Amino acid sequence: MKAPVVGFAGMTHLGLVSASAVAARGFEVVCFDADSGLVRRLAQQDWPVLEPGLDELIRGNAGRQRFTNARGELAVCDVVYVAPDVPTDEQGTSDVSGLTVLIREIASAMNPAAVMVVLSQVPPGYTRSLGVLPPERLYYQVETLVFGQAVDRAMKPERTIVGCADPAAALEPRFRAVLDAFGCPILPMRYESAELAKISINCCLVASVAVANTLAELCERIGADWSEIAPALKLDRRIGPYAYLAPGLGIAGGNLERDLATVRRLSELHGSEAGLIAAWLRNSQYRRDWPLRQLQERVLSRVDEPVIGILGVTYKENTHSIKNSPAVALIKALADCRLRVFDPAVRAAAEWHARMTVTGDALTASDGADALVIMTPWPQFRKLEAAAVAGRLRRRIVIDPFSMLDRAAANAAGLEHVVLGAPLPLHAQ
Amino acid sequence: MTLSHAHQTPRKPARLVVLGSGGFLGRNLLAACAAARIEAVGLGSRDIDLAEASAPARLAERLRPGDVLVFLAALTPDKGRDSGTLMRNLAMCRAVCEATRAAEIAQLVYASSDAVYSFATPLISEETPAVPLDLYGAMHRTRELMLSGEAKAPLAILRLTAIYGGDDTHNSYGPNRFLRQALKDGRIPLFGNGEETRDHLYVDDAVELILDVVSHGSTGLINFASGTSVTFRAVADMVAARAGRPVEIAPSPRQNPPTHRHFDTTNLLRAFPGARFKPLDDGLAATLAKMRAEAGA
Repeated sequence: MKAPVVGFAGMTHLGLVSASAVAARGFEVVCFDADSGLVRRLAQQDWPVLEPGLDELIRGNAGRQRFTNARGELAVCDVVYVAPDVPTDEQGTSDVSGLTVLIREIASAMNPAAVMVVLSQVPPGYTRSLGVLPPERLYYQVETLVFGQAVDRAMKPERTIVGCADPAAALEPRFRAVLDAFGCPILPMRYESAELAKISINCCLVASVAVANTLAELCERIGADWSEIAPALKLDRRIGPYAYLAPGLGIAGGNLERDLATVRRLSELHGSEAGLIAAWLRNSQYRRDWPLRQLQERVLSRVDEPVIGILGVTYKENTHSIKNSPAVALIKALADCRLRVFDPAVRAAAEWHARMTVTGDALTASDGADALVIMTPWPQFRKLEAAAVAGRLRRRIVIDPFSMLDRAAANAAGLEHVVLGAPLPLHAQ
Repeated sequence: MTLSHAHQTPRKPARLVVLGSGGFLGRNLLAACAAARIEAVGLGSRDIDLAEASAPARLAERLRPGDVLVFLAALTPDKGRDSGTLMRNLAMCRAVCEATRAAEIAQLVYASSDAVYSFATPLISEETPAVPLDLYGAMHRTRELMLSGEAKAPLAILRLTAIYGGDDTHNSYGPNRFLRQALKDGRIPLFGNGEETRDHLYVDDAVELILDVVSHGSTGLINFASGTSVTFRAVADMVAARAGRPVEIAPSPRQNPPTHRHFDTTNLLRAFPGARFKPLDDGLAATLAKMRAEAGA
């Protein structure tokens, strides 16, 4: 069989990374987006998303991967993925109307014998309701995009989950050839199961994080240290070495929130018990405000006209995304303070805060501050020397949820170093 | 379900009218208004008995357009825990609702209570369902609903935790009673060993927060608490350490399992980032100093 030509429609984060991974596996890939400005940027190798390894990946694909805003060029493709990011509102509800329009446009533009694969995340029941193509040529494939690790995960997926009209039927051979190139287990299942599988994965992740957050807070209060406990859990076969057990500042980024909103909506509609979802969301919101509570206790309640340094604006490292970012929430909550803010990828927006200075580097954000808060675990923040930070601060307080500063060095520098899940050093208690 | 501010920059209100001015919180609020040169009028039950039929009209006569009405008046559990007390409290609230419909006031601030919450949830926030366990809690919850539905004014509902301070005339189980017992008897009896945890808000902090709500023209719902809960035993120990005389802390056989209450004050901190709370030990010291000054006087 001749190697299939693969098309991708929708060149936002998911589509761009996924198309690049397929091209890197040796397939000719046509990348379509109706936004001519975006296609022009892509053709000039100006990537609209920050993703480690993406630049090298696309450059390595050379002539195998091309970008176009001409929908008709998808007619040469044997398999066409539809993969735009699906927007969500503030409640995490997906708006699939744009996706549906795109699917219908692509269905009429592609080769009548080609296979369509919906890669965007959709709510259960969506794919079967489309009715745009014969069922044997319409698939749903679960995306596993993780911001900041998207290239690695797209190139080396743990498994591929495929939603089919009839999971007992063999996968269409050209589509199968694309999937086989990734050398991982393929799990065909009903559309509805695949659509819910992705949500199920995310619910398990949220559950793990909620457990870690709940117990980490208890650690802070009773003198235990979660970083000592988590490795013990990971050696338990029932939990596992890759379990999400790092405490954090709640759910952010939009994807997990969307899945929880979907489960809540479906359980309300169908009358299933889903009290856990509300508990997870509550836990998430509570943990998001952990830095504010720490600042209130240690600085805001004690200092007139406080100055706060903030490192990191994005919701996590290695991304431009600020969707539901705890850092942005903190900045907006500190209206009465003067702020000094630095992020390596995103410039803090002036409308977030009236008295905010955006600094040119991480260390300068500490200058004259009553406390430094490290909100995003960007790798470069790990290189900050605690003594240098201490020398710049007016008060030696560092709120460091992810323990980016070396703990021993922070102690040696006389910093009150406050970390998620850890008791305060004895000298600071 | 939290506060939103009409004014991001604080503004001095035209005038405060304080219902319940004879009470502990009312007296302190009026004193703070005087210190801040905010025009304020206090009305107590001697001025208008809000439970009487004529109260709505009499209150409306006292109100001016643009006033901020601070509704602190209530018959507290020490005045009665029965349905009669409940009905009088609700009648008072109905009078306030009716009066606001006759006057164009700028804001209505209602001092509710954390008694609207049960002990099923040990960490309370504004999202915690209000499930009162007694008529006093039910009274506050009913008043909240009455004011939300029937009063004609931008409404702020403040759910206050237990308040303590120098001239608190109440004698409920907690800081003030412990201080009085320590000074008078040298003995603080505890239920069990005082294992229950509670939040205690110093009166000056509560007053400051009320004035924040007023100056921002805030509306919505907020819990007023310090965010720090301690056991009654810890309160008793702090009192004993400061009493200046030997104090026996006397546990007793426990009749019921201990209950615990903590507050997630994040919404309060978001609403008023500069809010400060006097540490309990400092608040007890200030209360003790005031008690001694009054005793000396």
